[in-house]
Amino acid sequence: MSEFDVVGKSVPQLAAREKATGDTRFVTDLVLPRMLHGRVLRSPHAHARIISIDTRKAAALPGVRAVVTHADTPKIKFGPRSEDWTIFAEDKARFHGDEIAAVAAVDPDTAEQALDLIQVEYEVLDHVVSPLEALEPGAPLVHEESPGNIAAEFNIEAGDIQKGFDRSHVIYADRFYTNQVYQAYMEPMAVLAETDLSGRVTLHTGTQIPNMMRMTYAKALGMAPENLRIVVPEYGGAFGGKMENNIHLVAAVLSQKAGLPVRLVNTRQEDFLAGNPRVPMYFDIKLGATKEGVLTAKDVRVVGGAGARLVYSQVIVSTACYRVDSLYRFKNVRARGITAYTHTVPTACYRGFGNSQSTFVLESAMDELAAALRIDPAELRMKNGVGPGETSVHGWKIGSSGLRECVEKATRAADWTRKKAEKKPFRGIGLACCNHVSGNRPFAREFDGGSAMVRVGRDGRVMVFHGESDMGQGQNTTYAQIAAETLGVPMAQVHVAQVDTDISPFGLGSFATRGTLMGGNGVMAAARKALEQLKEIAGDHLEADPGKIICKKGEFYDPDNPAQRMAFKEVASLATISRHGAPVVGTGFYKPPTQLPDPDTKKGNISPAYPFGCQIAEVEVDPDTGQVTVTRMAAAHDVGRAINPMATEGQIQGGIAQGLGWTLMEDMAYENGRLVNADFVDYIVPSAFDMPGVESILVEPVEPNGPYGAKGIGEPALNPTMAAITNAIYDATGVRITSLPVNPEQLLAKIREKQGSRC
Amino acid sequence: MTPVPVHLIVNGEAVHLTVPPNRVLLDLLREDLLLTGTKEGCGLGKCGACTVLLDGKPVHACLILALQADGCRVDTIEGMADKREGRLHPLQEAFVEKGAIQCGFCTPGMINTAKALLDENPDPDTEDIKQAIAGNLCRCTGYHKIVDAVSSCACRSHNKSNTRKADNHE
Repeated sequence: MSEFDVVGKSVPQLAAREKATGDTRFVTDLVLPRMLHGRVLRSPHAHARIISIDTRKAAALPGVRAVVTHADTPKIKFGPRSEDWTIFAEDKARFHGDEIAAVAAVDPDTAEQALDLIQVEYEVLDHVVSPLEALEPGAPLVHEESPGNIAAEFNIEAGDIQKGFDRSHVIYADRFYTNQVYQAYMEPMAVLAETDLSGRVTLHTGTQIPNMMRMTYAKALGMAPENLRIVVPEYGGAFGGKMENNIHLVAAVLSQKAGLPVRLVNTRQEDFLAGNPRVPMYFDIKLGATKEGVLTAKDVRVVGGAGARLVYSQVIVSTACYRVDSLYRFKNVRARGITAYTHTVPTACYRGFGNSQSTFVLESAMDELAAALRIDPAELRMKNGVGPGETSVHGWKIGSSGLRECVEKATRAADWTRKKAEKKPFRGIGLACCNHVSGNRPFAREFDGGSAMVRVGRDGRVMVFHGESDMGQGQNTTYAQIAAETLGVPMAQVHVAQVDTDISPFGLGSFATRGTLMGGNGVMAAARKALEQLKEIAGDHLEADPGKIICKKGEFYDPDNPAQRMAFKEVASLATISRHGAPVVGTGFYKPPTQLPDPDTKKGNISPAYPFGCQIAEVEVDPDTGQVTVTRMAAAHDVGRAINPMATEGQIQGGIAQGLGWTLMEDMAYENGRLVNADFVDYIVPSAFDMPGVESILVEPVEPNGPYGAKGIGEPALNPTMAAITNAIYDATGVRITSLPVNPEQLLAKIREKQGSRC
Repeated sequence: MTPVPVHLIVNGEAVHLTVPPNRVLLDLLREDLLLTGTKEGCGLGKCGACTVLLDGKPVHACLILALQADGCRVDTIEGMADKREGRLHPLQEAFVEKGAIQCGFCTPGMINTAKALLDENPDPDTEDIKQAIAGNLCRCTGYHKIVDAVSSCACRSHNKSNTRKADNHE
């Protein structure tokens, strides 16, 4: 550990002090002179034809500065992937929460009153919420141009599954369901939009993908991308949920019409109704193994519910079809995925991106195989787990893999062997593994990778510019650590600039657990470029070969002549003076050694590195109520090298909290097409009381492609939690949970059924 | 609605305002006084992001009418640190140092709740802390580091034996 001065140290977030004192200005805190307050009128129906919208009374209300509907927009169809979006509903509302109209007024109360004055006449139409029902013949259509409600299809096959199943001694097959859940970031979606005299629009908003979003939004607004600027202040969490969303465009249109800045903040209810929650999925899985426990074949059919328009659900369904195949040494796999339009809120990214759904399913099936084969579930994973240097069935080149070490360390920490043998009534222990990516080559097809600019001012102050996004996880701090280490300066000297599309590099953003590896490599490359320039100056003054000079702890010197030193600040000052004021700027990028998958076989190494993990849950099931309590978790994660161990642990603990909520508590409930639990009163997320003790274990095989050996942790932190808990429930009760969240009444009924059949 | 006068002591300073009778304390703080450290997370008293101290007791500012707070002392996160000295309150310092802050949106409410707990019970154990913060939602951290941060303050000022308790919590 001591080989580095800054990397590998647990340091507080750069912004932590401001966050602790309330000084941090989040999106919802931003205020501009003459700023208006926006509100959105949303459809109360799951599916309805819009007969008429009358905004005259609202527009006449004193204090109202703009009222807008579809008619006030450029009426261009757009979307991040599939152009099935409009900013407001045109002729039909397609989900409870769909954008119908919006107002901007001098204060929130006036805006609220104006909403009530907009008169909309609807003709209510039949709707469909379940993705399986949406695919049935005669189901109400979400978009006329998509017959059968089929939004997208994905097929992948490798090896020969028939041969694989033929030589299987055990085959497990079942249907699983993973439900629609909400990210519940603490700051609701919000945006402050301003339009200048030239018509240029600036959006201040919390987004994971400022640069990609800008391209999509420019199209929607019928403007050139250079006429749209996106600035990313500190924002209160995202977990996948803060990407493209109509709220930003509604604010843009309001500010264009009013000619004044407009702040638009979702109420919590609106955020439930019109955010972009997790894609619900049905899985039919068939999994085979030999009697020795060697996996032979996997066949899966996935049906995902897109909601009323495509955000990223089709890519999430395809991910659910095959990413998890690279966790084990599969030879024969097949998956068919269908993404179905439904009359719900459009679904999209939520930590895990389809891999969390399929990990729950595969790891449940693995538990069943282990039981059928009477093999320890941990041993079954050890036997099949993918190792370092291997190439997976889909052509993924695994660099480092700490999977086996994760299983070993988690089982040791949990006292697995003893507890597994214990068999106490209504108490159980369960294990699940996971894999993931650190960047996903096919996501943004033009390129993948990361870049940064590192500016060293005359005062020696280092400023890192990147185009990714710190959603609260601490990414800026990671970048500062990497820059400080590379330059050889103390952390306190390094700062990270707010992302602003006018200034920052074109980063792809924070998703696919890519921030640390991609952005981190970009920062490292940029810092090296800046350092080279400073070494030239230091070399001149120290009369040494710049190639030999190093900088450590803020001092330049030649290791052969360490007595002669120059302070970093002094070198920076001399550099700026010698360039007549120009700062030292290093611009660098990282091009990952990845491939776009072959369009037919889908083979190709999509990520420069693959993180792994193993979690073990212990549960108690109340024999009278069926209520499940998780009493302890052990979580071992292969993170490459942890740049900031404290922050990495925080990711693991937070991921487990969200996975626990999904498994036991959370479900977006629809009645007659309406979301009926759109608030924290009826949609309960874990509190401090729900959290078990968590032992986090960092497994750190140095990743050759990672900055200082690091891979990502964001998504893998949650991927195995659901199956670890439900496998523990199986151990406690013999009941296989096939549908999330766990329903205590159904669990109890199944326990009693089992007890009855045993008597 | 006819505006009504409200007199408060906010972070030690007398504040006199005229507000509509339906104005909630949260909006008075955020909109009228621009004390935006107090956050709105749900508007229904279920997330705790708007927790402030009313005469020393933690309340949800989104559920209290400004009028109900008339004549009371209101302490918000802005009043906690000694900014001129650049010195944070020990709780704030602990949240920073222990990694209890990720996105930070829940942090002001969480710290206020923790402060009220420590003011009343200087030596809480882990269960006391969890009980106290059960109404403050955090979606980032899984709460462990928050509980550790609060525990560390209990032991620092009052009870050395809590150090071990805090360490075991992980």
